[in-house]
Amino acid sequence: MNGQYASLLIALPLIGAFFVPLIKGAGKKAVKYYLIAITAVQTGIAAWVFQQVYSTGKPIIVMAGAWRPPVGINLYIGHFAALFVLIVAAVSFMMAVFSLRAIEVEPIDKYAMLFLLLMLGATGMIATGDIFNLFVFMEITAISAYALTAYNKTGEAAEASMKYIILGGIGSSFFLIGIALIYGSLGTLNMAQIAQLAGNMNATVAQVGLALIVFGLAVEAELFPLNAWAPDAYQAAPHPITAMFSAFVVKAGLYAMARLLYLMQAVESWGSVLKLLIIMATLTVFVAEFAALRQRNVKRMIAYSSIAQIGLIALAFALGTQSGVDAGVFHMVNHAIVKALLFLAVGHVAVTLGGAEMERFEGLGKRMPLTAFAITIGAIAAVGIPLFNVFWSKLRILLAAIGADYAWAAAVVLTASVVEAVYYFRLIHTMWFTGEGERINEGLAVSLMLLFLAALVIVIGVYPDYAWSIAQKAGNDIFNVAQYIKNVPLMGVGA
Amino acid sequence: MLKRALAIISLLLIGYWIAQGLAGVPFGQDRMLVAQYYLDHVKEQTGAVNAVTAIVVNYRGFDTLGEVTVLFIASTGVGALLWRRKKQRTAKTEGSIVLTTGTRLLVPFVMLFGAYIFIHGHLTPGGGFPGGATIATAFLLLYMAFVQYEIPHKAFEKVEGAVGVSYVLVGLIGLAIGGYFLYDWIWQDWGFGVDNIGRLLSGGFIPIIYTIIGLKVGTELSGIIDNMLKEEVSE
Repeated sequence: MNGQYASLLIALPLIGAFFVPLIKGAGKKAVKYYLIAITAVQTGIAAWVFQQVYSTGKPIIVMAGAWRPPVGINLYIGHFAALFVLIVAAVSFMMAVFSLRAIEVEPIDKYAMLFLLLMLGATGMIATGDIFNLFVFMEITAISAYALTAYNKTGEAAEASMKYIILGGIGSSFFLIGIALIYGSLGTLNMAQIAQLAGNMNATVAQVGLALIVFGLAVEAELFPLNAWAPDAYQAAPHPITAMFSAFVVKAGLYAMARLLYLMQAVESWGSVLKLLIIMATLTVFVAEFAALRQRNVKRMIAYSSIAQIGLIALAFALGTQSGVDAGVFHMVNHAIVKALLFLAVGHVAVTLGGAEMERFEGLGKRMPLTAFAITIGAIAAVGIPLFNVFWSKLRILLAAIGADYAWAAAVVLTASVVEAVYYFRLIHTMWFTGEGERINEGLAVSLMLLFLAALVIVIGVYPDYAWSIAQKAGNDIFNVAQYIKNVPLMGVGA
Repeated sequence: MLKRALAIISLLLIGYWIAQGLAGVPFGQDRMLVAQYYLDHVKEQTGAVNAVTAIVVNYRGFDTLGEVTVLFIASTGVGALLWRRKKQRTAKTEGSIVLTTGTRLLVPFVMLFGAYIFIHGHLTPGGGFPGGATIATAFLLLYMAFVQYEIPHKAFEKVEGAVGVSYVLVGLIGLAIGGYFLYDWIWQDWGFGVDNIGRLLSGGFIPIIYTIIGLKVGTELSGIIDNMLKEEVSE
């Protein structure tokens, strides 16, 4: 089949979202099942793309409007994009199923549209090969995220969304100024051509442009000090949306940051931007882990934990070495699985018992044993115990950090992981060893998804080799810029 | 006081830093790489006289699809956040007779002009976004002048969705005919209007897309106005 059909990854959620107003008369149930159907088809297309890319080893280049880059916009679906587009679609599908039970607040038709567009934005950010197009998709992601954060219409949701919208707005403007500087000095927006020409760029312009872009993306990627919106937003957003934020919206921002960073490897001032990023990433891990320690709300606690893990990924990407990037990608995959599992389980508890405070988790092992079991697996994995998937990626990141002569960063991160163990084991203790209660029916669909994700955690933990080889291919996609340039069929305008 | 001084100092520092960067991109130097290509080839490749619209809709049509989506999200988001089971306008003062009569006279002209802007996107400055905004202005005028006026929501919502769907469909027809998403089949394959450049019936699918965008933007902005002007009423 023609590789251009991969553009359906963008077209399908769009047309799906635009179509919702036309079917909203059919009722609430119909809209929810429609959402499941669209995300299921999207997962199918993503699986096809994944299979194509990994079997041929060649990226799919989608050229919109048949214009060859850099004149037109191209999508670059290489190993990384194929992998993450699949993760985005699969997580969205699961959350669409979860929405059946979790979303009771009206208006459901608007929820369905925003949900699809959030998925679209993340897919586009990961797939695009053009920096202005990256900005457009980032705005799609961000604006749907603002609206979805406030969707519950409580006071705290409005406040969280307000914080997010202001920080996000400032971040996007920085990002746009950065793009303008780069375009002003190179005259092109295509990522491959930027990478080609980056060597002869003025060092100051490159430094300012790149730093502005990193700063702008840091809001989406939840790096300290621009992540103050995140815990509030995670806590206040509807439960399925929280899982989506953590599983792929952040990842899209992080990936965009890493991609742009490595494209501009050739500029002279590259090292100083990396140093800035390492400091931000280490602080993110440190601050978030200690903030999580004192939380009484489990959803908020896991939100902080998620931010800390993101800091770890950012650290891996900022090392500037092949092994660091590979480890970062591996951790992205593992973190997506674990956090989807945790937020799904915690959201499920909150829906069933009416809240996510620590008290409600007392005796959960007796009331909802399967969910409690899933949370336990997720928590142990997040801490990084051997035979669970996160252990391998954390280990790789630490080794990469030491290999790149950043032993102090590795030490800080390792200390923070000890803190992580404290609050996760406190949660496990609360669930299994305190409180009493009756069995509650847990629902078939959610139970199946929890079991599937928990199984994935353990399978990757016991047999990490296959997942690691995928992560290495995807990491190479980011790190090996010469190959990236070669893969994009530039038509040689100007150069 | 201290806070303000610190803010000013840090702003100055950031400003200086960005100015340093800007100094590396001197004004007036020729840095056109891709842009020169657009200028040289726009007429024969897209049939549009207006290079900006050709870039926005044709060469970089993917971005425009994204921007339309951003606006759609904005209107959907406002709709979701201000959703109430029963809403009504609660304006109290009727506009003066000069205002209402003036509005009655002006609205058709404003709408006509808005339509003119988006239909002539490939020939004159403007296009779908300004045209749509102009049309929404006409509805804003109606809302301001009349206490009771309301747009027909049901129809507007349906139009908004339908034109969005048709934008993607035009792109998908390109995928089916030419093998590429958003491929301009009308110009590239049919050659429709090739000997007509500079007149209304030319420009490939640009006028079609811009009509779609114009309708979409017009209905969306009107919907935002409607949502924001209404208040909840208790039953």
